[in-house]
Amino acid sequence: MREFLATRTAVLDWIRTLAQEEDAFFPQPMGENSFSFDKVRKHSTLAFEDFDAAPAEKPFRASTCVQPPGKRLSPNDEQIFHFSKDENGQYQLTPTLDARKRTLAGVRPCDLKAIHLMDRVNRDGIPDAHYLSRRQNTTIIAHDCLQPCDEHCFCEATSSLRWRQGADIFLTPQPEAKLLIEALTERGERLLDTAGFPPCDDIEKRRALAEEKRAKPFGRHFDAPLQQVIDTVGNSWASPVWDKHVERCFACGTCNLVCPTCYCFDLKDDFNIDDPHSGQRTRSWDGCMLEEFTVVAGGHNFRPQLATRQRHRIKRKLAWLPARFGDGSFCVGCGRCGHQCTVHIDIFDIANDLLATTEAEP
Amino acid sequence: MTPMDVDPQVLTPRMARILEARDMTAQERFFRLQLPGPLAHRPGQFVMASIPGIGEAPISISCGPRHDGQLELLVRNTGSLTRAMHRLQAGDFMGIRGPFGSGFRLAEFEGRDIIFVAGGLGLAPLRSLIEPVLAEPRRFGRITLISGCRTPADELYRERMQAWAGLPQARVIRLVNDTAHLPWDGEVGLVTAPITELKIDIKNTLAVLCGPPVMYKFVIMELAARGLPNAQIFIDLERRMRCGIGKCGHCQINHVTCCQDGPVFRFSELESLPEALT
Repeated sequence: MREFLATRTAVLDWIRTLAQEEDAFFPQPMGENSFSFDKVRKHSTLAFEDFDAAPAEKPFRASTCVQPPGKRLSPNDEQIFHFSKDENGQYQLTPTLDARKRTLAGVRPCDLKAIHLMDRVNRDGIPDAHYLSRRQNTTIIAHDCLQPCDEHCFCEATSSLRWRQGADIFLTPQPEAKLLIEALTERGERLLDTAGFPPCDDIEKRRALAEEKRAKPFGRHFDAPLQQVIDTVGNSWASPVWDKHVERCFACGTCNLVCPTCYCFDLKDDFNIDDPHSGQRTRSWDGCMLEEFTVVAGGHNFRPQLATRQRHRIKRKLAWLPARFGDGSFCVGCGRCGHQCTVHIDIFDIANDLLATTEAEP
Repeated sequence: MTPMDVDPQVLTPRMARILEARDMTAQERFFRLQLPGPLAHRPGQFVMASIPGIGEAPISISCGPRHDGQLELLVRNTGSLTRAMHRLQAGDFMGIRGPFGSGFRLAEFEGRDIIFVAGGLGLAPLRSLIEPVLAEPRRFGRITLISGCRTPADELYRERMQAWAGLPQARVIRLVNDTAHLPWDGEVGLVTAPITELKIDIKNTLAVLCGPPVMYKFVIMELAARGLPNAQIFIDLERRMRCGIGKCGHCQINHVTCCQDGPVFRFSELESLPEALT
């Protein structure tokens, strides 16, 4: 059996049960208007928006968490290896691979697509064992969006809205406070086998109901089709648009920090304070907007200007990584970079400005 | 997600014992290391070298391919990690990951005349190609090395270069910017100067460049003035590699990842990468 229909309450209770056996994460209210993708604890408030919910209700349950769920698969300051050194100067190094079972629940299609893209990146060339160890031990329960989460959303414009690949279980809102529950993988099927939800026998009708309810158009749309955006960003090099949007930029790197497809990192070593003959190497998030990002030993900076770093960030999302992986836009349209930016610099506006500007290229 | 086989040690170094450590100049220290197994590197590749607890940095491999698990590095003292490396002695250990990067393929150089242009520490990676090429005189053509540094006290691999100069197929031009009142048996000037007087068989010559960013522009201008096509010029680029496996993002130049697609490129490949020679 692969499809079920149950009440939201029953599904949320089931997620609570999962959280008793392993770490489970779910979007939880943080302050008045925002959400954090946090570990489900005994007193956590878990909820999904109603089938008839209007996005004007604040905080809206579909709102993106400040940090994307995928960051749980490559946490900041994760240990890469730990070491000890004996009295003969011999080292013992042990890689740290996190193979604990965990569940990411309530993941929205934009963030699900971002996780799919991170899977591609981390499997490419020489694979990243640390990411993949977590990923292979992670169950993903995704939840569809019928309304845009806020005014920053442009997931339909980046082809992320109807994304399902990568989820083990996919939830779709239904009338009467119910959820359509679909297993998309064997892992999802095994989990649902023991959940005890009533089977769904009118799946096509249920899917159509949700599709009919979905906002049209959904969120913001570029002034041109996605492929034209990708081509325009790809061909742009000397456009004045690259200078326009950095005039107010502080180079703080928040856009990198909240982006679900920013994966740049740095590696740092430490000794243990109580035993200087042992320590660890950790990996921390880094961002291409930060000034030190391309500085080499001796002090030379290969990308010293803010405008060129901004161009690099935008072209990575909308030109270079799409070309390298052939998997569409690496911007998933979640709207976080524009939302969290102190001065409202939005990749969506930059792309539209580039579409509106013709540039003389060599 | 489909499971896949991965190397769990991908970001964890192997520890290599230092067999030899000596200062080559006031700034550069030479290391010969013994790895637990063969490195199987190509000329022009690099390793991530580290001291656990202190840090890790990309260091060019300075020796030609070898089968005994030994590795030679020349480390300039420029930061906290390399300062700590300068205190390491024979018998101590250094962490090594790699080799990484595209490097040079010896087959591409077969039968060709080769002009090497090295600026300062750029000689360290170039030695990994110069030595295997000089070792097989019948396989490769005439070899010219132009090596420049600031003063005689900064010159690297002096005895090696003097030995190479004695080989019939090789010509070695050693320059300093300034003799700094020190004894000097080479020439004074920039590495661009000798290029104008070289005999170059344009069709059959390859040039290989490694040095500081500022050197490339001027050397390329001289080579272009002599008619050498861009596809026959190899450039070894420096970037802030942190992982070596194309993931950390620091060494990305436009759409290429320097640690995987480079750091050795033909100049013709860099024409589509406007950020490469900044």
